[in-house]
Amino acid sequence: MSALDIIVSYRQEFLRGLQVTLQLCLIIWSVGILAGMILGVAGARWKTVIGLPSRALSFLLSGVPILVFLFWLYYPLQYALGVDISPFKTAAAALSIVNTFLVADVIRGVLLEFPEQYLMAARVCGLTDRETVLRIQLPIVARQVLPSLLFVQVGMLQATLFASLISVEEIFRVAQRVNSEVYRPIPIYTALAFFFLAICLPLHGLAQYLKQRFTRNLSER
Amino acid sequence: MLIAQNIRKGYGGLEILHGIDLSLAPKQITAILGPSGGGKSTLLRALSILDAPDSGSVEVDGVKYSFPRKRKNGIQPPWPSLTVVFQQLFLWPHLTIRRNITLPLDKLRAKANGVAAEANKEVDALLDLFELSEQADRYPNEVSLGQRQRAAFIRAVVLHPKYLLLDEITSALDVEHVSKILEHLKSLRDQGTGILLVTHLIGFAKSAADQIIFLEKGRVVESGDRSLLTTTKNERLRKFLSLVETAL
Repeated sequence: MSALDIIVSYRQEFLRGLQVTLQLCLIIWSVGILAGMILGVAGARWKTVIGLPSRALSFLLSGVPILVFLFWLYYPLQYALGVDISPFKTAAAALSIVNTFLVADVIRGVLLEFPEQYLMAARVCGLTDRETVLRIQLPIVARQVLPSLLFVQVGMLQATLFASLISVEEIFRVAQRVNSEVYRPIPIYTALAFFFLAICLPLHGLAQYLKQRFTRNLSER
Repeated sequence: MLIAQNIRKGYGGLEILHGIDLSLAPKQITAILGPSGGGKSTLLRALSILDAPDSGSVEVDGVKYSFPRKRKNGIQPPWPSLTVVFQQLFLWPHLTIRRNITLPLDKLRAKANGVAAEANKEVDALLDLFELSEQADRYPNEVSLGQRQRAAFIRAVVLHPKYLLLDEITSALDVEHVSKILEHLKSLRDQGTGILLVTHLIGFAKSAADQIIFLEKGRVVESGDRSLLTTTKNERLRKFLSLVETAL
């Protein structure tokens, strides 16, 4: 059975797996980016009340492997709370939380390091507060944030593979199941690698391009 | 008239400015001289109300800003009728040199096409005068420090401020460009602009400044007209002038 035969024979399974992976990704990306932006901006604005606890939690999370966090949410926490949440929802929640803190760290860092002097220059040139935010602060922050944000999202896409370990029927788990039936690991996992390359490489390349194109030296030196 | 009275400013419990009084009239160039760390840049920031003084007052054409202020909002700031060119320039890095200069003019453009056309012509003429036409579409990190200094100067000048505060804006320029800037300052003065200039260019201060202020350790040690630079009896100022002239 050739690689093509396997893919054709199991296309329904692979398509379902792909759909689950993309659904998971969509949730993680949208929740993480939106909540992370809010948390990041709030953390930079209210450094003690929000910034400090957010940094502490982020520090704590960075010390726990994603897989351990996922398992902890799925098994002990649900057992302790007496609830039964589906693997998909648990994985989506766990990875969204991780993404939220990673995005918040990026946003907060860029905002806190934003040179105040650019705003001073805007003020003495007669720009209003609104114009300063829209035409100076936001474009500079966006250019600084965007590449890092893309790198983080590529990492989160790859992290969706962990969901297979709590029985989420995403693409990797489907590949494992198909392999257990036909036992052709080389074509199956190579195809899987190409699938991830096809999505991750362009995103990674875009992030590199944006970093090179837009992340200008802010120090003026 | 720009009038500052008893300006005090400190950071982290350390007072930098110890009660400065000064005034700047339209059609006047005032040169502030003094050793590094004497509070010159701090004074410019305080006068422009960007970095509010801890106490004292700044009056710009009859509008008085007294410090400390209970309410942060409520008074219309003096910008850009009073504007500053900082020592570190701070051109916005996401905009080209030309856009750095024209962005603050967008309001004028919105008002009337005729004004916009005039402003465009003036920008082009100044870019040409200061040899920046070829660099106009580049970003600040793609040009030299001297070119950035000239661009920051143009950005301030095209706003036609009544009071222009300049902090060591010729430090990275060659003699030819220094001379062009200084000539332009004289012309702005003659058109009515009040200019406050922090500088080490004693020669320029001698030939063009209407008023000299020698600032040391946050205090005005000596002030007067430009003859002060040749006739002063103040030991500190004489020593400073001799050191600057030797170094140059």
